Amino acid sequence: MIVVVGLSHHTAPLPVREAMAFSQEKLPEALEKLRAEAGLDEAVILSTCNRVEIYGRGKNAGIADAVARFLAEYHGRPTSELLPHLYRLEGEDAVRHAFRVAASLDSMVLGEPQILGQGKAAYEAAAAATALGSVLNALRNRSVAAAKRARSETGIGHNAVSISFVAVELAKKIFGELRDRNVLLVGAGKMSELAARHLVRAGARASVLGGRRFERASELAAALGGRAAPFEALREELARAEIVISGTGAPGTVVERADVEAAQVARRHRPLFLIDIAVPRDIDPAAAKVPGVFLYDLDDLKAVADANLRERRKEAAAAEAIVEREIAEFMSWRKSLEVVPLLVELRQRGEEIRRHELEKARARLGSLTPEQEKAIDGLTSSIVNKILHPPTVHLKEIASNGHAPEHVGFIRKLLGL
Amino acid sequence: MSSQAYLLLTLVFYTAGAVHVLVHALTRRRLLGSVALTATLIGFALNTAGLSQRWTEAGRFPAVGLHDGASFLAWAIVLVFLATYVRTRVDALGLVVYPVVFGLMLVAGLTRPSEAVDPVLRSLFLPIHTTLALFGYAALFVACAMGILYLMQERELKSRTPRAFYYLLPSLERCDTLAARIVVVGFGFLTFAIVTGILWNDNARGRYWTGDPKEWSATLAWVIYVALLTARWRSGWGGRRGAYLGIAGFVAVAFAWAWMALVSGVAVASR
Repeated sequence: MIVVVGLSHHTAPLPVREAMAFSQEKLPEALEKLRAEAGLDEAVILSTCNRVEIYGRGKNAGIADAVARFLAEYHGRPTSELLPHLYRLEGEDAVRHAFRVAASLDSMVLGEPQILGQGKAAYEAAAAATALGSVLNALRNRSVAAAKRARSETGIGHNAVSISFVAVELAKKIFGELRDRNVLLVGAGKMSELAARHLVRAGARASVLGGRRFERASELAAALGGRAAPFEALREELARAEIVISGTGAPGTVVERADVEAAQVARRHRPLFLIDIAVPRDIDPAAAKVPGVFLYDLDDLKAVADANLRERRKEAAAAEAIVEREIAEFMSWRKSLEVVPLLVELRQRGEEIRRHELEKARARLGSLTPEQEKAIDGLTSSIVNKILHPPTVHLKEIASNGHAPEHVGFIRKLLGL
Repeated sequence: MSSQAYLLLTLVFYTAGAVHVLVHALTRRRLLGSVALTATLIGFALNTAGLSQRWTEAGRFPAVGLHDGASFLAWAIVLVFLATYVRTRVDALGLVVYPVVFGLMLVAGLTRPSEAVDPVLRSLFLPIHTTLALFGYAALFVACAMGILYLMQERELKSRTPRAFYYLLPSLERCDTLAARIVVVGFGFLTFAIVTGILWNDNARGRYWTGDPKEWSATLAWVIYVALLTARWRSGWGGRRGAYLGIAGFVAVAFAWAWMALVSGVAVASR
């Protein structure tokens, strides 16, 4: 029986998730304790900022409750306090949850790529602590494969959903290739730096316009592999830039419409992308009306991010369908395993009977030539195989259709096993 | 099979392609999937067969009048579109190209072929001039289409609220660069078409210029494109103004084609 017990951003607020987190160093010890106390054959602990989940496999009933108790006790909280935030899933529900989490369908930001890596790391840690067995290993392999299919065959991971990536995406929509484009930073704030870093990584060149503290601008310019310039050079720098990121702490506008108009005349009205992430805004909103200028403030960037997230959600249905098909295959495989012991016994029984009768026949036949020995051996094997073949095939079929449990007992009786 | 039969089959396949593109645009799936492309290729093969059949039936190059003019132009546009698509993979072109190709084939399907038998049409000038002209029109149409895509994307980006086109259209830079390149190709064909037209006039009528509205229109288009290319080269014009000029030039070119197809019937007025 596979179980999943845990809490996520859907069911628990941050303070609760923080309290339930597992540290990487303590994982091996935690896994050992978990298996001992909850009676699990296999266990995996996944602990990220948005979820803490335990995947387990065991034979006893009630392991889900045991895992829940372990979670509470390990972190020194009463179980009753934790229960309202926990989900306890068994069997196919547990498998479905594991698959959906890996495919980022359960994430706070649909389509985020980190969860897959975090999941794989959790399985690795369990393997290192010898807590990973064949069932959870198979779960890992199938869920990771399903996640990769979902991400590559649908658009759930496409389109930027964070502000700085939106800025880069918009820049690409305007300029196509970002290689050798000039990015001008006005002000040296953290958010500007982040967006600028993405652009520089895509091949753009950065310049930083200094404000009151020129040293900060120089530092940032050096960090980005670009150059710094004094604020008085605003118009020249604007004329030279294609992308401008403005994030100063100034209380009013720093770049006026006239500055932008002057720059555009010098630039022959080629496209100019102005990103204003300052609050209050740095760039005169009227500058948007200048021909060739695209001016986006924080609200605009957020609107694009939201629109992109809606696009991702449209893709979610297709991704869910892919994941459902993979889950069905996994469950089918699991069920086919249920008849394996029976089939092994069947074969063994068949072989036993064959040998026994062969001995009896040899006693009656006396000595035989090697060819005759071989012929009789082959004859009896062939008969046994032919008789056992249809039951074997049909048993496997019955198992993958999920009817094995009802039939296995009856079949055992029928075959006298 | 008669050319009319080929034509109707072509229309079926071009329509299938157009519907496919439209549905995909509305559902935000990939615009030019294998279904749309296969339908286009089959349609193009049928279009080619239909034109060659028409050539046999008419006993002359099939480029006279509205019926022939429309199906030949559709053929040329599809060819130029496919060549552009193979090099650039700009799916969004389909948004503009397919409706126009569908419209042209529909017009061809609904009209009768022209029975013009002016001896002027026996000249070698007919296939040479009309082929050059039609390829020029097709390339300039595709360039105009890229300009339209540019304007659509620019409007989306200026509005700061992404709607369908934001996701479907390529970057502004791409639209602009491709439009510039295709205009050069179209302009080349147009120039040669005008030159052969002038020579044909002389050959058939003894004078280089007949003052036919089509000649005026083609010349005006040529001048607009010269202005566009010069402005791009000398003053770095591009973007919105380049797109507007490209559209204006194409309107002039379209008028020339329409005049040929609807009124004069040939490059040379049969007066």
